[in-house]
Amino acid sequence: MASPITEIVKPGNAGAGKSWIDHIQKDLPEHLEWWPYTLGAIPLTLFGILVATGLLLTFYYVPSPEKAYESVDEITNGVYLGWFVRGLHKTSVDLMILFLLFHVIRVFLTRGYRAPGELKWVSGSIVLFVTFAMGFTGYSLVFDNVSYWGMTVVTNMIGTFPVAGPPLLYLLRGGEEVSGITLLRLYDLHTKLLPVLLGGLVLGHVVIVRLMGFADVEASRRFHPFYPEHTLKMGAVAVGLLVLMVDVVMIFPPVLGPPANPQEVASDVSPPWYFSAPYMWISLLPGPLALWSLMGGAGLFVLYPFIDRALAERRWPMALVNGVVAAAVVAGMVILMYLDMQM
Amino acid sequence: MGFGLLFGIGTLGFRFLQFLVPNRKKRQAEAVLIGAESRIPLNEAVPMDLGGQKIVVLRTAEGIAAFSRRCTDLGCLVSWSKERELFVCPCHQGTFDKTGLNIAGPPPRPLDRLPIVKRGDQLYVNIQSA
Repeated sequence: MASPITEIVKPGNAGAGKSWIDHIQKDLPEHLEWWPYTLGAIPLTLFGILVATGLLLTFYYVPSPEKAYESVDEITNGVYLGWFVRGLHKTSVDLMILFLLFHVIRVFLTRGYRAPGELKWVSGSIVLFVTFAMGFTGYSLVFDNVSYWGMTVVTNMIGTFPVAGPPLLYLLRGGEEVSGITLLRLYDLHTKLLPVLLGGLVLGHVVIVRLMGFADVEASRRFHPFYPEHTLKMGAVAVGLLVLMVDVVMIFPPVLGPPANPQEVASDVSPPWYFSAPYMWISLLPGPLALWSLMGGAGLFVLYPFIDRALAERRWPMALVNGVVAAAVVAGMVILMYLDMQM
Repeated sequence: MGFGLLFGIGTLGFRFLQFLVPNRKKRQAEAVLIGAESRIPLNEAVPMDLGGQKIVVLRTAEGIAAFSRRCTDLGCLVSWSKERELFVCPCHQGTFDKTGLNIAGPPPRPLDRLPIVKRGDQLYVNIQSA
């Protein structure tokens, strides 16, 4: 497959006897030697693992309310290495979100989204949101008690948005209640629509980064070649990551909660860690305020490069502002997660 | 031609979207027998599932009342806490008093109350069944 990257790089490097390396070669600014600049390649690696393990899981998973939990149980406890494949899938999504957040923090602190890189930020932030949607639809499929009530609560949250909310709720649930149709819809989203969307977005994000180039950093004058230096560094990080993941899956094999019970809410309905902070947020604030502040926060997040530009024009010390904002948001999330653990 | 093409694809897309929306079932009022009043102990609430609708019937000194168990916040199911004399939602700690009024936590309105009809010794709850 001719990737768009090769198409783009070709004109500069066209010529007879060129190897494929010349097509991906690019002079990167030397500041990219600093290891946090490989943080974006980690989610990319994890995305690959998620696709592979996800494909394997579909060979056993049955998306029906009667069979879903049973099939996950069979994968976890019956199928040869099933626990490992499911564990790898689960750990990959946890780590993908974690490293996406690290990557966001790195870009935010170094203000890598400044012109002409706004599109890099906007496309990347959509990747983050779609990944969250993958996380939600994924843990719904397990169909244990946390899945069932998570589905109920999250779809209800969508239903509370004005105008578009109620029809969207009906469309997503395929009816008025969470049912087998809902599970099938979430399964379709998780295994077909969202992965294709996410794959496209990730590819788009990488292409945009290659096209737009990297943000200027003062005193970063010399060059750091993409191949072999940067690819080697990313490769080393990916190998280290794989070793870490295999260890994590073996030490913490995947578990399965009690099966979904539509008659009784699970005693502990805490969602996965990455939804823990917004979950506490909506518990602490009155409904509409919590939802609107979450939506507003997400909007500000996507549009941050433009806010930064407007404030920088008014001579705000943006490096300092970003440092304070990042510290406050991370501290707030940690506090909310801690409160969730206490309850 | 461009406009025609867009219009064609647009209407087709709209039809596909309609395909994804299942038919709404007509709802009709129905009185469902829930048994004799004496079946429900004083100051206790009995949860019931009437064809998918989860309700709770509470008997207090003031009388008997039926509520939908669906929390008005985000749709989890409330349970009666006998000690606290409150309905509690485990999802986001919303609480309702014995009249169904939302008194703490995120719920924006009281629990939905269902009318109870007494015929002889037997109690009937009016629900909207699908």
